[in-house]
Amino acid sequence: MSFRSIVRDVRDSIGSLSRRSFDFKLSSQVKEGGKSRGSVQDCHEEQPPLVLIQETPWANLPPELLRDVIKRLEESESVWPARKHVVACASVCRSWRDMCKEIVQSPELSGKITFPVSLKQPGPRDATMQCFIKRDKSNLTYHLYLCLSPALLVENGKFLLSAKRIRRTTYTEYVISMHADTISRSSDTYIGKIRSNFLGTKFIIYDTQPPYNNKTSQVAQPIGLSRRFYSKRVSPKVPSGSYKIAQVSYELNVLGTRGPRRMHCAMQSIPASSLAEGGTVPGQPESIVPRSILDESFRSITSTSSRKFTSDYSTEFSSARFSDILGPLGEDGEAVFEEGKERVSPPLVLKNKPPRWHEQLQCWCLNFRGRVTVASVKNFQLIAANQPQAQAQAQASGQTTDGPDKIILQFGKVGKDMFTMDFRYPLSAFQAFAICLSSFDTKLACE
Amino acid sequence: MSKKNIVLKSSNGIIFEVEEAVALQSETIPYMIEDDCANDTIPLANVTGDILALVIEYCKKHVVVADGDGGGSSSSSQEDLKNWDAQFMNDLDQSKIFNLLLAADFLNIKTLFDLTCQFVADTMIKGKSVEEVRRTLNIEKDYTSEEEAKARQENEWAFK
Repeated sequence: MSFRSIVRDVRDSIGSLSRRSFDFKLSSQVKEGGKSRGSVQDCHEEQPPLVLIQETPWANLPPELLRDVIKRLEESESVWPARKHVVACASVCRSWRDMCKEIVQSPELSGKITFPVSLKQPGPRDATMQCFIKRDKSNLTYHLYLCLSPALLVENGKFLLSAKRIRRTTYTEYVISMHADTISRSSDTYIGKIRSNFLGTKFIIYDTQPPYNNKTSQVAQPIGLSRRFYSKRVSPKVPSGSYKIAQVSYELNVLGTRGPRRMHCAMQSIPASSLAEGGTVPGQPESIVPRSILDESFRSITSTSSRKFTSDYSTEFSSARFSDILGPLGEDGEAVFEEGKERVSPPLVLKNKPPRWHEQLQCWCLNFRGRVTVASVKNFQLIAANQPQAQAQAQASGQTTDGPDKIILQFGKVGKDMFTMDFRYPLSAFQAFAICLSSFDTKLACE
Repeated sequence: MSKKNIVLKSSNGIIFEVEEAVALQSETIPYMIEDDCANDTIPLANVTGDILALVIEYCKKHVVVADGDGGGSSSSSQEDLKNWDAQFMNDLDQSKIFNLLLAADFLNIKTLFDLTCQFVADTMIKGKSVEEVRRTLNIEKDYTSEEEAKARQENEWAFK
């Protein structure tokens, strides 16, 4: 027995015992393929091609080990601003991006915001994402930050989103951007907006990406087409659109009493079933940038993670859609848009938790658990108004996972121009921010 | 009284004789002993002599501490060990670190593997620009310029 064959035997035995599938694959291929070098190469394509002249040994790092390294990086840097190193890792090359996307869990599971796309993914299921909004009255801008400490008035945080209030003759609009200073619809960092009606009692939230139930998104001419794709880009693309994803209504309060506002949010892009046990938010974006050439090139890499959320839904969707189009629009009259006929599941509706009248203090009270310190008409807590499937499933399984009083979004004043915003699943940071912005706007008929 | 010794042979034929307790920090070696694929000498075809020497140095250090405290490790010795680990890694050049990582993986020594991975993450990736990481790890940029510009713009958000 030659030394070489002993070595091979040893390696085979290790391979079969190894916790790493990579070793196993490698050794078994060596065995089967004999001297064939090609078969070994095939099983780890992520490695750079052999033509590359290797200056450092690190170019030969097996992908499995690289994964271990990046995993440790990810685990050790869970808090911003150090979290940016994880984002940097994902920019190195495609395989790293792929790897980082696999390692980094969505905010829904990890409770962490990592990549920009996290801003449009649902918040954590088991905790609230604590944020604060800083208002700048001089230039009518609002900045959303992630809280990095439990202190209420600490002004350093991880920048998440910005918004600018634009007053038009018949409506007010808040343009939402992921750039702290560039807040404009013509910028590539524009990710959506919220627009009021004349009275400021109804607001519609628009996203640049279509909601899951907008099946005509590829062909239909979206409302408010973005101009930049025609002027700047060379290659033809699907234009970025403006899709209604939610409507926030404030109940008219003609008597002018300074009572609590009554809010009603119909979230077109989130089915009520998302709060049922095992429910998910379908159609989560893979990238925060609107559909473009980038989308195509990254789709192959990123689709796996979101597919598991949508796959079971899409079958149901395709079989049910035609009957549902003709079906009733649901009891929730306010929530129905013209396009609303296409939806297959009733949208999630949020309403504000009614405050209690406090006899001693002679005021309306809500328990904000220390996160709101200044009384304001703007303060609110939102809970789910409709959970038909949740109730049905809870009865079946004999337990309730999401109580009807679970606060999904809480917003309130903590200081001059400082507000906290705490949200959780199924809302995303973008949606939560947009709903809060509606609370800033003066309402002609409400106060 | 005499402890059982194990003989390890590196890929370039260098022989190391170590106490069993030292060698058994590797989860791979017991299998090799069980499988009887080496009568008295265990050939480690993937590990060169200089790297194996480092691995053994590490294992010796760690086996002593584990013995001395009998499980109830005091905080000061833990602290010492941590400092020793840091010094141990700092004294190595890149090529040694790389081979040590492979050896720790092959020999399946969990603590050494963790230490090396974290060291690589901290010193070679963390806090470096994308270009620096590409250069350090010799990674070919496979984005088109347009994709890269887009990704850069999107990721600007992270560095605010």
